[in-house]
Amino acid sequence: MQLFAQDLVNGILVGGIFAVVALGFSLVWGIMNIINLAHGAFVMLGAYTAYVLFSTWHIDPFVSVPVGFVLLFALGYGIQRWVINWVVRAPLLTPFLLTFGLSLLIINVVLVIFHGDTRGIETAYSGSNFSLGPVTVAWTKLWTLVVALAITAVMHVWLSTSRTGRAIRAMAMDIDAAQLSGVRVSHLYAIVFGLGAGLAGAAGVLISLSYSLQPSMGDPFVITAFVCCVLGGLGTVQGALVGGLVYGVLGSFGAQYIGTGLQDAVALVVLLIVLIVRPRGILGKATA
Amino acid sequence: MSEFLSIQNVSMYFGGLHALEDVSLEVERGSVLGLIGPNGSGKTTLMNVISGVYKPNSGGVVFAGKRIADVPTYAVCRLGIARTFQVVKPFANLTVRENVAVGAMYGREGGRRSTRASFERAQELCEIVGLSHVAGRLASELTVPSRKRLEVAKALALDPEVLLLDEVMAGLNATEVDEAVHLLRTVNERGVTLIVVEHLMKAIASISTTIVVLAEGKKIAQGAPADVLASPEVVEAYLGSRYAARQRQRETPP
Amino acid sequence: MGGITGNAVALRVSVGILVLLAFVPLLHSSYDENLVRGVLMFATLSFGWNLIGGYTGYVSFGNVVFFGIGCYTTAALWQHWHQQNVVLSVVLAMLVAVVFALVLGIPILRLRGHYFAIGTLGIALATQEIIANVDWLGAGAGFPVRPLDAYLVYFYAMWVVCAASMLATFFIARSKLGYAFVAIRENEEAAAVLGVDATRYKVIAWAISAAMAAAAGAVFAGANGFIDPPTAFATDDNVFPVVMALLGGVGTVAGPLIGALILTAINETLWSHFPQIHTLFFGAVIVLVVLFLPRGLLWLLNTRGGWKGFVRTLGAYRV
Repeated sequence: MQLFAQDLVNGILVGGIFAVVALGFSLVWGIMNIINLAHGAFVMLGAYTAYVLFSTWHIDPFVSVPVGFVLLFALGYGIQRWVINWVVRAPLLTPFLLTFGLSLLIINVVLVIFHGDTRGIETAYSGSNFSLGPVTVAWTKLWTLVVALAITAVMHVWLSTSRTGRAIRAMAMDIDAAQLSGVRVSHLYAIVFGLGAGLAGAAGVLISLSYSLQPSMGDPFVITAFVCCVLGGLGTVQGALVGGLVYGVLGSFGAQYIGTGLQDAVALVVLLIVLIVRPRGILGKATA
Repeated sequence: MSEFLSIQNVSMYFGGLHALEDVSLEVERGSVLGLIGPNGSGKTTLMNVISGVYKPNSGGVVFAGKRIADVPTYAVCRLGIARTFQVVKPFANLTVRENVAVGAMYGREGGRRSTRASFERAQELCEIVGLSHVAGRLASELTVPSRKRLEVAKALALDPEVLLLDEVMAGLNATEVDEAVHLLRTVNERGVTLIVVEHLMKAIASISTTIVVLAEGKKIAQGAPADVLASPEVVEAYLGSRYAARQRQRETPP
Repeated sequence: MGGITGNAVALRVSVGILVLLAFVPLLHSSYDENLVRGVLMFATLSFGWNLIGGYTGYVSFGNVVFFGIGCYTTAALWQHWHQQNVVLSVVLAMLVAVVFALVLGIPILRLRGHYFAIGTLGIALATQEIIANVDWLGAGAGFPVRPLDAYLVYFYAMWVVCAASMLATFFIARSKLGYAFVAIRENEEAAAVLGVDATRYKVIAWAISAAMAAAAGAVFAGANGFIDPPTAFATDDNVFPVVMALLGGVGTVAGPLIGALILTAINETLWSHFPQIHTLFFGAVIVLVVLFLPRGLLWLLNTRGGWKGFVRTLGAYRV
């Protein structure tokens, strides 16, 4: 029973990060119909940003979260506006391979600068825990969850109420109509991609607090993001949140009862079950 | 009671919408059945049920002794039913001839045809529908009227006994309509039973042996073209009850 | 007929090149032999991918799983039965791969587009993980595989596998089967109305592509001398064949071979001049290929309007 509760809590704690990663991925997929295979690389860049800021100027990673967001937003905006935009409406294979190529580029640039050594961030509070009944909770992870939930909430509010947010949603529904009504689609697309990257970067900063860094650390996050989106339902903030939390918990139990070496197998099984039983996901709307 | 093609008490609902309500009809072999009715009356839905694209909520369609609903979509043409679609989408990256050849390869006689024989049949059909001059061009380069002919050719490649044509004349000018009517007559003379959905009254009246009228999902008239088109119920369905009332007033002496 | 088989001239040139490659062992350079054997291997993988991704339009991002199955078939034959016979391992590998494709194909080919792509990627990753946990297959540490003393056998075996794949693609493309594949790619619903049983033909396409990849893997394992999960399921072996098909021309017969030749040439040049950052440059190459050759070189040759037409196609997909 204690093990069950611990697994559950661990799952929720990591699920918050998954939710942020999934949200960025979901925005780009839902609005631009692009599966960004470089999404994991953006997460990794966020983590390395936190690392550099911490090791050079002792800036606490929690403070680096907005920095990571802004930097990655700018990078994402640029990449979409001046590279991906050329093929953004092309059939599936083209943007797929393009983002894969970009991912290779990014990972290798980091490899050249930082080499393949594993790095980590040790803050003053890194190891401290507290007890909640039978369960041990790391402070870092708890605050990470709080920040992750805050980010999700802010994005939800912004998308629903701001002018840009509403323009984005209009564009998602009918891009030609939006273009005809004066919406600057190329700019908005770049904003959406930038948001996706920024969210990935913010998640990366949060991850750097609890996990070690390597140039290839972002790779698993593409599949994770995909599964969370499918699980929770594509295109909404709530979907990404639910998908992230549920997947975090499933992964946690999976690691406990099936073993840590089989994450991808677990992910695949979850993916296939969802796609066959309820393709729209937990919160997704049924399509015609 | 015709043993050929029988539509029995077909009803189709989409959510709360009754697209078809208890529609029954018999189709005679070799005839041309014109299916008319105002927009939204269920004509395309009925076509979809007959061709197996939709499974009806109740009732069924029986052709050559088989219930269409029990047959998977790709096998329907092997029974002998082929159709054209209102929104024409040919295989864009294949030539016109290749488009038709696919039907010849996988249709009713397809199992017995080699690739070469399929292409020969495709060339024949291109000539019949008047597309031989563009047979080697990519389907994406065709004009709309030519695409409609391609649709007909593809359907004919399936060697059908029954051909369903869904608004194949929409968007054609007067000359093109005459050509289409001529083509359909030729096809019918070769023994293919036709079910034609059209809005052009003159065209439908001139080729149909029987006309069936649908309104709001129900069959409201069936019979020879002249009788049906003059019937007051049909006029009312198309033009509304106020016009029909005025028409009745004009016709009955005071 | 340019369409379904691709540019006729390119086809003849490619066959010529393929025949020439058979004579490489006469150079008595093991470096060249290994290099060309690599080209032949990648070309085979690309031919396989081209059938399901290029002709049928189902972009698989996990065909490496079949390559891996081929590798492990050879490895298991050596480890457990001390068999080194190349023909036996190729045939057995193809059989296992086809069964795998048939069993998994039915559920996974119900997915379309992005879902299919990521689903196949998931299968590849999951299979790699599962094998890493199976002791009978060497688990994470892998197996050594003793190569035949007559090492040249592997070169010719790979050549035969590649040539057979190209020949198979050629005959399939011109046959009724090929037209079923293409019809599914162009419009799966319209194809069904014309009598094409899409499920059946998608699975056939995937099974054939599986057989090709597995044959390549079976030969590779013997030549490589060692197999472990990262070697058998390497990302390079998953992605390069796709980029090669894209570069040469998706949905053509010669495209995969041409793409394999060009990309290997680029890769070798980068390796020798920039050993540290060659993967970085390779990423750039992929980006450039995708941006400028959205459907590959062979389709480029068929584009109307010369240079202006080409430039116009570049802007076709932007907002």
